[in-house]
Amino acid sequence: MNASSEATQGSHRENGVTPSALSAQNVTKRFPGVIANQHVNFDVARGEVHTLLGENGAGKSTLASILSGLYRPDEGSVLRNGKEVRLSSPRSGLSHGIAMVHQHFRLVDRFTVSENVVLGSKGLSFVLQPKDIEAKVSEVSEKFGLPLDPRAVVGELSAGQRQRVEIVKALYHGAEVLLLDEPTALLAPPEVVKLFETVRAMTSVGKSVVFVSHKLGEVVDISDRITVMRDGKVTGSVKRGEADASRLAELMVGREITLAPRRGTSDSGNVLLSVSQVHLSHDQSQNRPNQPSVLSDINLRVRSGEILGIAGVSGNGQRDLAEVISGLRQPSQGAVTVCGIPTVGLGARATRQAGLAYVPEDRLGTGLAPSLSMVDNLLLTRDRGFLVDRKSAFIEAEGFIEKLEIKTPGPLTPTRKLSGGNAQKVLLARELFSTDASRVLVVCSPTRGLDVGAVEAVHALLDDARKNGKAILLISEDLDEVMTLADRVLVLYRGSIVLEAKGVADDFEKVGRAMAGLAP
Amino acid sequence: MNSNVWLLTFADAISIATTLILASLGAMITERSGVINLGVEGYLLMGAVTAFVVGDSTGHLWLALGSALIVGAAMALIHATLTVTLRANQIVSGLAMVIFGTGLSQFIGKPIEGKSRPVIIEKIDFGVLSDLPIIGPVIFGHDPITYATWLFALVVSLYLHRTRPGLILRATGDAPATVDAQGVSVKRIRYVHTVIGGALIGLGGGWYMFARAAAWNQSATTNGIGWIALALVVFASWRPLRAIAGAVLFGFCLQVPFTLQGQQINILPSEIVSMFPYLMTLVVLVALSTPRARRLLGAPKMLGQPFVRDER
Amino acid sequence: MIIGGIRVQLEARLTSSRWLVVIVPVFSVLFALVVGGVFLLITGHPPIRTYLDLLDNGYTSFYGITDTLGLATPLICTGLAAAFAFRMNLYNIGQEGQLYLGMVGGAWAGIALAPHLNQFIAVPVVLITGALFGAVWVLVPALLRARMGTSEIVSTLLLNYVALNLINYFIYGSRGFFRDPSTPFPQGRLIGESARFDSFGTTNTYPTLIISITLAAFLFWFVRRSNYGYETSVFADSPQTARYAGMNSAWLTTSVLLVSGALAGLGGAMYVVGPAGKVDPGLLQTGLGYAGIVVAALARYNFVAVIITAVLFAGLRVGGSALQASSDPVPIAIAVVLQGAVLLFALGGEIFRRNKFVVTRVVQTAKVSA
Repeated sequence: MNASSEATQGSHRENGVTPSALSAQNVTKRFPGVIANQHVNFDVARGEVHTLLGENGAGKSTLASILSGLYRPDEGSVLRNGKEVRLSSPRSGLSHGIAMVHQHFRLVDRFTVSENVVLGSKGLSFVLQPKDIEAKVSEVSEKFGLPLDPRAVVGELSAGQRQRVEIVKALYHGAEVLLLDEPTALLAPPEVVKLFETVRAMTSVGKSVVFVSHKLGEVVDISDRITVMRDGKVTGSVKRGEADASRLAELMVGREITLAPRRGTSDSGNVLLSVSQVHLSHDQSQNRPNQPSVLSDINLRVRSGEILGIAGVSGNGQRDLAEVISGLRQPSQGAVTVCGIPTVGLGARATRQAGLAYVPEDRLGTGLAPSLSMVDNLLLTRDRGFLVDRKSAFIEAEGFIEKLEIKTPGPLTPTRKLSGGNAQKVLLARELFSTDASRVLVVCSPTRGLDVGAVEAVHALLDDARKNGKAILLISEDLDEVMTLADRVLVLYRGSIVLEAKGVADDFEKVGRAMAGLAP
Repeated sequence: MNSNVWLLTFADAISIATTLILASLGAMITERSGVINLGVEGYLLMGAVTAFVVGDSTGHLWLALGSALIVGAAMALIHATLTVTLRANQIVSGLAMVIFGTGLSQFIGKPIEGKSRPVIIEKIDFGVLSDLPIIGPVIFGHDPITYATWLFALVVSLYLHRTRPGLILRATGDAPATVDAQGVSVKRIRYVHTVIGGALIGLGGGWYMFARAAAWNQSATTNGIGWIALALVVFASWRPLRAIAGAVLFGFCLQVPFTLQGQQINILPSEIVSMFPYLMTLVVLVALSTPRARRLLGAPKMLGQPFVRDER
Repeated sequence: MIIGGIRVQLEARLTSSRWLVVIVPVFSVLFALVVGGVFLLITGHPPIRTYLDLLDNGYTSFYGITDTLGLATPLICTGLAAAFAFRMNLYNIGQEGQLYLGMVGGAWAGIALAPHLNQFIAVPVVLITGALFGAVWVLVPALLRARMGTSEIVSTLLLNYVALNLINYFIYGSRGFFRDPSTPFPQGRLIGESARFDSFGTTNTYPTLIISITLAAFLFWFVRRSNYGYETSVFADSPQTARYAGMNSAWLTTSVLLVSGALAGLGGAMYVVGPAGKVDPGLLQTGLGYAGIVVAALARYNFVAVIITAVLFAGLRVGGSALQASSDPVPIAIAVVLQGAVLLFALGGEIFRRNKFVVTRVVQTAKVSA
């Protein structure tokens, strides 16, 4: 409360001189069952980088969406250069010079860079003039140091390049205030450095940048100011130079948190999962250019009571590796052994019977059938026989609900109506406890999109499983998660393991460089 | 069997292709916006019967074709309301339009059953040009709507690939959220193009009535060419100019049974020969399903998906 | 959508309302009757009078309802066929063709095998053969869909036209096996007496109705309780989840389509065992295959509800035929118009079942002094 009033007073003082480029005054936004923003005040000045920091679900994306015109506030107002504006859509936001770059890019894969940039531009002639358009797009991209080929097809670009397209698009449409929603989520560390350069190039010509992030570490460098949100409210605001990581962390989660890593103790267990010389060549039906093979020469061993972490930027073969190990895809060559049983060619069911459990990255839609109940989802990996036994699954579900404190109206509620954290608990419960035989667990990005409480619960479950002697392969794009949980870390880059490291904080930079494909 | 007969068959194929082109252009425009229209057969029947009834009572060809066009647009408006606004399943809605259109056209067409055409579409007289060998009948032996249809295909092609609204239309089928983020109403784009598409299909039905069908004969009037037109959309990979080539090919297959019958060639019973166009369409569909073909084809990515802005 | 300070929004229902499950179909029928009434008025038929006649001829008179139940017998089968495939997002719309092939298969068994068999065996043999023929007719689209992803919608539909020509060939175009050799008049050869059911009394209702209803009830139970039904539910909801769990999606796709085809084929065979006794081109006029889609969609792919919607639609058809034959003939197509309209309204009504409209006043507070 105290911090909140301080923050607003601070911004009012600045307003006395020149009005903020963009500000939210006393904004409240409700969604069914949640108050996403509650009396929030926020502002960004010309030429300033102002970061909105907060955990997932803190309401920062909602606030950014309100500032950009995607959502309309239930209460409160948005001011541009000190004047109230009513933003009815992203388009009207853009007409006031406000643009948002979303975490999930909104680009047409089949279009070229320049087609994407000019899409929806009111200034276009009825008959398109490709040459003129390309020239204008190049002009904008060069001005801000964002090299792009205007004729390249967007579907073939990397995540970093696509983000550049989004930024160029915003600038082309005359954006003066850019809201970047989790802009570093898909980038390797060196790409982040490049992004920061672009951000500085923009602020140096007077543009304002709102940086929305939940990654405490990286925002400190780039921000002129940092405002922290929690549970839909602003909990505090600090200026450049005053930023202190532990204070910010406290504001984010509302209590002191320990960043102490969890580690296994024994390393003498038996090898339960081994992958040797696995290669996976291109799937014919997928069109991914410039990539000769999806996985090449993967070797790894996971012992009982150990968590092996696989770090890497999304799209470097993580999913393929998980699918090969779990028997969903067949490697072109190589061997996978689960609890001593070679599983290549057996298929997913037999691999499971050999003792493997698998928590895929996509919880609802792959791990769980969204419209089916928790009971039916618990049945998914069971040996079901001719008639389905829902009674025992119902009892099992009730047990899990109590044991793991799963918040749900009941075992028969469709899983898509559960929150992300509760859905993940259902999935983990099934994969950890439901199948007795499973001694190996492959788990992909288990905490993506979850709030802090759920993240801790999931990490505790994984830690317990390790203590109970399971062999866990943790594949995650969240480097912090891998570094805190795993006993050893492998870095996957373009389908190859490029680095093996002990999971200690000292290796952070080395791992980060490896993730970007730079020599250690 | 002389070569002249096959030439005439080819000329006929070009003629019959008109309905196929109009119907597949209509379906294509609709699908480019992300809406599947399976109702083509129903639209064609309604267009045909409307044109007949209006032509019969007014004797006016253009009025008849105009009303076929309006009926097609009206049916498309129902489809758009159901699928875009009410987010109904596009496939089932399309089928419902087939059933509704078939029933209603038979109901309306009952009194005119067996009656001969009130008006016919005259071929354009190109004078000497029409008498030229080969290209005379093939190129200069058609009615104005046929030529207009070729022009339509060209116009639609230019619209899709060379204009600002065309760019937005293509984006709407592929990434509606992107279009929405640019402040363009996805719903409006979908409504507009579904209705324009429906109008073209309705016109195709009206033209078919006057140029190809001898009399109103219930659902046998169009005999499934609406479904062939849908296969043609895939065949043409959602590109208007390719639809012309495809339509002539499909038209040829539709025409061969009649030619054989006319020539008293009875290698196979006529019922068996009549199966060929459908079987050939099936074979084409299969050929287009290979992974390689699929990659080259490029169906609109969000085809069949209702768009809901992500407001949690 | 905001109108004058009031915002109308659709919000997903967290729980599906039970009464709406009934209300939506009922109102769909009522609205469809209004639409049909408009067309009746335009064509000079008094709507109320026509509907009352329809009601009497189709449902309330003794022979009306028994005729209706007779027609509903194969319609339940095609409805089940559509429901079985559609609930798995497999749009088999070739019931029409599969129905014809069921008739052909049934007639083949009835002519070739039945004379050597007694009734207890002959009837099942005819029915099963019909079902097999129906399944075979969808085999190619099913394999194409499962192996190559070829859309089953257009492929199954195209085969309807092939099947139609096939029947015409058997009866009109050739003097082969299925044609009655004893007369120059083109009609089908009668199947063995042992393979035919007698109707109940003087009605047009046949014991096959019991089979249809039992089948619907069995499928209702089977899909809910069996592992196979469970796997199809998972696959329908999320093919990725099915793959994840190691289910064989190619097998599920193929088998569901084959069962769907078999159910439609069974309907054709019931037509042979019951009223027809032969390959009868009259079946081509009834549109029972297409109507099956409407029946299934209106029943929201619930197998037991299919029985009710099938009887409803069969009554429309039976009543419609009576109207056509009356002194003020109303084209029987009015029955199809009503079917289409009911389906359109039911589709539109779905949104009320899945969502609720939330009306809120848009409040703009806090005028800010800059």
